[in-house]
Amino acid sequence: MNRRQSWNINTLFLILIFGFTIATLIKPDQEYSESENRTLAQMPEPTVETVFNGEFESDYETYLTDQFVARDAWIGLKTDVERLMLKSESNDIYFADDDYLIEKHTGAFTSDTAELNPRILGQFAEMYQEQFGTEHMTFMVVPNAVEILDDKLPLLASPYDQEKYLEQIRAELPDGTWFDTAAILRDHKEEEIFYRTDHHWETLAAFYVYQAWAEQKGYEVPSEDDFEIETASDSFEGTIQSKLGIDTRKDTLELYLPKEDLFYTVQTDEGAPVEYSVYDRTALETKSKYDVFFGGNHAMVNIATRADTGRKLLVIKDSYAHCFVPFLLKEFDAIDMLDIRYYNQKVSELIQNGGYTDILFLYNASGFAEDTSISRLTY
Amino acid sequence: MVFSSLLFLFRFLPAVLVVYFLVPRRFRNLVLFLFSLLFYAWGEPVYIVLMLVSILVSYTGGIVVDRMKKSGRPGAAKTALIVSSVISLSLLGFFKYADFAINTVNSITGAGLALLNIALPIGISFYTFQTMSYTIDVYRGEAEVQKNLISFGTYVVMFPQLIAGPIVQYKTIDQQLRSRRETSEEFAAGVHRFMIGLGKKVLLANNAGALWDTIRTMTYAELPAATAWMGLAAYSFQLYFDFSAYSDMAIGLGHMFGFRFLENFNYPYISKSITEFWRRWHISLSTWFRDYVYIPLGGNRVNTLRHIRNIFVVWLLTGIWHGANWNFVIWGVYYGILLLVEKFFLGKYLKKLPAVFQHIYCIFFVMIGWNLFVFEDMGLGLGFMRALFGGYGQGFANEETLYLLYNNLILLVMLILGSTHLPKRIGEKICAVISGSDVAVILVRNIFYAAIFILSVAWLVDASFNPFLYFRF
Repeated sequence: MNRRQSWNINTLFLILIFGFTIATLIKPDQEYSESENRTLAQMPEPTVETVFNGEFESDYETYLTDQFVARDAWIGLKTDVERLMLKSESNDIYFADDDYLIEKHTGAFTSDTAELNPRILGQFAEMYQEQFGTEHMTFMVVPNAVEILDDKLPLLASPYDQEKYLEQIRAELPDGTWFDTAAILRDHKEEEIFYRTDHHWETLAAFYVYQAWAEQKGYEVPSEDDFEIETASDSFEGTIQSKLGIDTRKDTLELYLPKEDLFYTVQTDEGAPVEYSVYDRTALETKSKYDVFFGGNHAMVNIATRADTGRKLLVIKDSYAHCFVPFLLKEFDAIDMLDIRYYNQKVSELIQNGGYTDILFLYNASGFAEDTSISRLTY
Repeated sequence: MVFSSLLFLFRFLPAVLVVYFLVPRRFRNLVLFLFSLLFYAWGEPVYIVLMLVSILVSYTGGIVVDRMKKSGRPGAAKTALIVSSVISLSLLGFFKYADFAINTVNSITGAGLALLNIALPIGISFYTFQTMSYTIDVYRGEAEVQKNLISFGTYVVMFPQLIAGPIVQYKTIDQQLRSRRETSEEFAAGVHRFMIGLGKKVLLANNAGALWDTIRTMTYAELPAATAWMGLAAYSFQLYFDFSAYSDMAIGLGHMFGFRFLENFNYPYISKSITEFWRRWHISLSTWFRDYVYIPLGGNRVNTLRHIRNIFVVWLLTGIWHGANWNFVIWGVYYGILLLVEKFFLGKYLKKLPAVFQHIYCIFFVMIGWNLFVFEDMGLGLGFMRALFGGYGQGFANEETLYLLYNNLILLVMLILGSTHLPKRIGEKICAVISGSDVAVILVRNIFYAAIFILSVAWLVDASFNPFLYFRF
């Protein structure tokens, strides 16, 4: 290597090292990542204690990574290179056919929590079986896209068989309380029932499941003609896209608006103002457009209707229920949606004092398997 | 702190470069010393005290040994050497092996002694060996005494080699500590080496590690043989590319600051025998054991029985150096046996085989060795080994094997080629062809290294799988 060559490589190296260093220093810190839909780590305050136990050091590295300049572009670059290397997955996400990004959920169903949760759910069902009667209790755990859209997965991909896990849950529950959503979704697997870029099911999927459930329960079974189907957004990029940072086909988010006028009130959390819609359309202006349903997660949502059926429903749920519950408004006088991940009071007290006639448990499979707050059900 | 992190690349390295090259020459060791303490303290704020004690012990030991020798009292010099070595080894023994000893005593006698639960200080095995080699070399007259505490401290804590080697012997950098010249050619050579190391670690080792992690966490009783072998190959590549990448980055960083460290890896996976493998793998460790254990015990210049004993002593120690656990002991003894068999019996027949069989023989036993090495839970290790040989009746391959294979095919090809001289030869060939034009050489080189750097940063920003493998050493 001669002098000129040395100087050139040295200059390049110093530009790279110092260039990015300066860029990261002058770039203002962001509170929140729109594209990743999460709050980013902030500069940690060093204290004698945190410096000596290593907490400050590790927080600072997280901060540096989270606030790195052009973060999304770097992650997108990595994903692009992985695709070039013929990888059919990245960050535990399959690049599936028809532009679907499908989460694999590796390890979600084999952890200790996953092992424990079905048993707790069984105990919960047993606790309230007499009070409600099995015909007034429904447990739905909805399989994820990776289970239903198996035709779209990359060649020879063999993710965990979620049916096995669902069977494990069913076996813990009293007869007649398990509602098999997998079969219904499988019947419609060629339709748009899962988002391409998001981990939720689409409103259409919730609609099919509701039809089947309403029929079983003897409620009025709606048809598509009963709704004005509104395309609320055709540029939805969900949580899965965020993990990869690549440009991909955008999703369409649909709302099923009943043609018949329904009057009801919605209150999300105690003290929040009363709303007259289950939809929060401001969410459509943000990245997390799925929050259009009820404005996202809340510990408790109280809905009061004029259905006048004498029925009051408690929904114990994760966000899969958000596009399902709007179909229930004609069947219950009141619906309370409980999210135990955020609820810090006793579930038993809520159920004793709530005056409920029915219970619906609605989760997605990986969410249920990974949720460490399921144990609060039996408190 | 590790080299393959945004913190190192965009905070620590620029800071140390600026300060180092701005201060007058006589303060440069001090700058390296202080920055290295910061480098170490970032992950181990408390254990820095232990490292400083270790430095003081050898520093004092060196001075006392030197003074006794010069005043004609070899017996006293030897005593000083023994005292200093015993203290160093006791620190290592306590912090690394105390719980292992307690566990072993408990499992033999059922005594139920309480564990101390001592966290292993990072790099203790590396720096203890360095400080000991210094005192011994002073005693043997192979190294000058270093009276400047900062210079001696710099030798021990120098961040490029502090936490994952190479194990630098004091005598090899004594002159460089006293006077060295940093030049732009040296710096450029360092940049090349560092970039190669960074890419090897972040792009190759981490991805190989991710494949190994996928297979490691499967149920072994359901593993067809080919999947198990792919997993073990992935681990073998991960360990080599990771470890040699640290050495590359260490050597590269050394160059930037004007130091020349000896090579630590020399394409070990192209070896044709186990003996050759250990001449190419972690050279600084083998050299250390040769110089400070094997030869002092008499090496091979003793009767056969003693020679065999010497080999076993070295390999027991090599095994246990890698971690305080029985699997490392067994791994060491395994190599002791293999080397003996080669030396006294197999070696002469092996050489007559076609080269390809020699390679297969060597890589087979090295991989089985890694199987022993990687599982601290030996029951799990045996389970995995059973899967390697189709012991669960799962056949040779299944759909998952093929899926993993086509998903990682390009990676595996890169890993295989990267374990040989080929990439280096191709690079040299390209440079030879275009050597007539400075501009072409500069362009090709800069694009290549910039691409490695940019891609490595992309993987680091994504903060995906990026383990540090040497917490056990």
